[in-house]
Amino acid sequence: MVFVKYMLSELRRRRGRTILTALGLAVGVGVVITVSALSAGLDDAQAKVLEPLTGVGTDMSVTRPISTSATSSSSANGGPPRLSEKELQQLRKENGDARVGFGNLKAGQKFTRTTFQATQLSFSAAYVAKIAKLADVEAAAGGLTLNLTTVSGTVPKQAAQSGQRVGPGAGPAQGGFNGPRSIKFSSLSVSGVDETRPALGSITPGQLTSGRYFAANHAREAIVNASYAKSKNLKIGSTLKISGKTYPVIGIVSTPVGGQASDIYVKLAELQELSGRVGRVNTVYVRATSAARVDAVSKRIATALPSSSVATAKTLAASVTGSLADAKNLAGKLGIALELVGLLGAVAIASLLTLSSVTKRVRELGTLKAIGWPQRLVVRQLTGEALLQGLLGGALGIALGLAGAALVTALAPALKATVGSAAGSALGVFGGPGPFGQGAVDTSSSQTVALTAHVSLGLALAAVGLAVAAGLLSGAFGGLRASRLRPADALRHID
Amino acid sequence: MDPVYELRGVTKSYGSSSTQVDAVRDVDLRIEAGEFVAIAGPSGSGKTTLLQLLGALDRPTRGEILFEGRDLASLRESELTQLRLRTIGFVFQQFNLIPTVSAAENVELALAPTRIPQDVRVRRVANLLASVGLGDRGHHLPSQLSGGEQQRVAIARALANEPDVLLADEPTGNLDTATGEEIIGVLRELNRSRGQTVVLITHDPEIAAAASRVVRMHDGFLGEERLELEIAGG
Repeated sequence: MVFVKYMLSELRRRRGRTILTALGLAVGVGVVITVSALSAGLDDAQAKVLEPLTGVGTDMSVTRPISTSATSSSSANGGPPRLSEKELQQLRKENGDARVGFGNLKAGQKFTRTTFQATQLSFSAAYVAKIAKLADVEAAAGGLTLNLTTVSGTVPKQAAQSGQRVGPGAGPAQGGFNGPRSIKFSSLSVSGVDETRPALGSITPGQLTSGRYFAANHAREAIVNASYAKSKNLKIGSTLKISGKTYPVIGIVSTPVGGQASDIYVKLAELQELSGRVGRVNTVYVRATSAARVDAVSKRIATALPSSSVATAKTLAASVTGSLADAKNLAGKLGIALELVGLLGAVAIASLLTLSSVTKRVRELGTLKAIGWPQRLVVRQLTGEALLQGLLGGALGIALGLAGAALVTALAPALKATVGSAAGSALGVFGGPGPFGQGAVDTSSSQTVALTAHVSLGLALAAVGLAVAAGLLSGAFGGLRASRLRPADALRHID
Repeated sequence: MDPVYELRGVTKSYGSSSTQVDAVRDVDLRIEAGEFVAIAGPSGSGKTTLLQLLGALDRPTRGEILFEGRDLASLRESELTQLRLRTIGFVFQQFNLIPTVSAAENVELALAPTRIPQDVRVRRVANLLASVGLGDRGHHLPSQLSGGEQQRVAIARALANEPDVLLADEPTGNLDTATGEEIIGVLRELNRSRGQTVVLITHDPEIAAAASRVVRMHDGFLGEERLELEIAGG
């Protein structure tokens, strides 16, 4: 009991030094907590951005990239093999009809031409079954995402005369048009969803904001993206036309950034038929038996289907760009440096002040030895004081850290994240129009996320533990040094 | 019966060979149990060094210090610590009280390394403070006590573990004459009533006169011993 009284009274007597040491430790702990909270907040923000892929039950998506040149980055890495002649023909058939020829039209004649173009190269739906049979794969579902391009207008006089061809493969696909004003392009994305596997795919029932999911029958149904519905003023019960066929809108979904943010979703078989791609898919959504098996499954798919590219949440995370990614990189690199500097600074301050305090008390410690205190008791006394000081610094540090985290949350600007969509990120190599005439479809999407820096209890305790350990070490070291002095030498010491 | 102390050719030197200073030189001394010995001499004569050697606070450079028949030079540090705790009480010129804890806690700190139960400690501390006339001042901080009172607390602390020997280094050096006499009175009373062996250092002949024996030091050498008769009531 007298030990504790002695410790407390010593800390009180040296109030200025105690506060200074505690503050030194507190700043270190506070910096560590704030930076870690910021880092955790950025992780959360990224997880929020990636949630569409990771949160709806899809662990990975498989697409089929293709090298556009012999020197492309993907082929340099032993990348996808060249396509067989049969496949080339299939892909040409799917995508080669993307141009509108005016040769057989008369000047002034009105026309409308609708074509489906792929954002990724397609492959046989047999791959879906093949992937589903791989070890550690719980389920796999195919999906087809296409761009529906409509070219309409009046045949220009000059173009008709010269037989000029106009199309997305010959010029900017979206928004831009360098032809006559009388010709209009419109483009919307359509995804085919395997309605027999509602838990796996580009949209799931959980993403519906209103209406219902596809019924398991052959009825024509469409689910539309909330932003598309807003721009086209579509509601549940409205109808829309795709390639001349009418679809009732049965649901509206919100697909945040990172997912397959198509404008319209229909049943997979419907889209395959409409687009002339029966039995073809261009994305396979895969769920592993457990999160821990994702990497193993990813490798297995890559081995089983050498021409495929597997995007997991991890690879998607790497494709996050924008201020969120910048902040995360900064926090990752500078954060560790800041944490180290904070901690080392705190340890150095605590150690120096404790050692200086011990030096000032050599005579007192000599007296204790003269009245029969063994060395271990002297060390225990000083270590105990350092421990209390460390706890005080740690508690102050938590307060500083919480305040720092609150300040970060309050002052941090909203961060913008741009993510290539689950499938789009795997595409990578398509910087412009593809080799089969498909348009350069931008599958990336952006989202603004607010940063919320939060402090985890474990982290706070770890930081305090470090502060206490720093105090204990310096106390023990100082105590040991002082207690080794002979009492006579210690008593001769001039304070 | 062994004497409490028997010193044979004790020398204590400081510094390296070129700058060596012999603070205590070739001292022979014998102190019996129950004696009240004063070591007198001018400043720098080696009195404090000698007392520190007697108190096992330091080791001699040469010679033997037998304490109750045991050579202190042969004892391990832990054994010296036990000796300081249980057998030797030390009183300092500047009191050396811990300023942040009360008078009672200062006394209790001397009991901290022991396994004496808390209730026994509390009673013993109260009795000790009462025995030095500070029964009602236990809760005061050293800074709230006069010099004489602080030295009484230091004496109580030195007696906490009922030592065989009480060593006092100029216990009146920081006190006025009247208070100094009071402190000497306390020590003499301890010697007389409890048979406590007391060795004190002083440069004041009047204080030295209170002892039953005075030894004189000069330049590290111990001078002739002179047996003094105890002055009754002095």
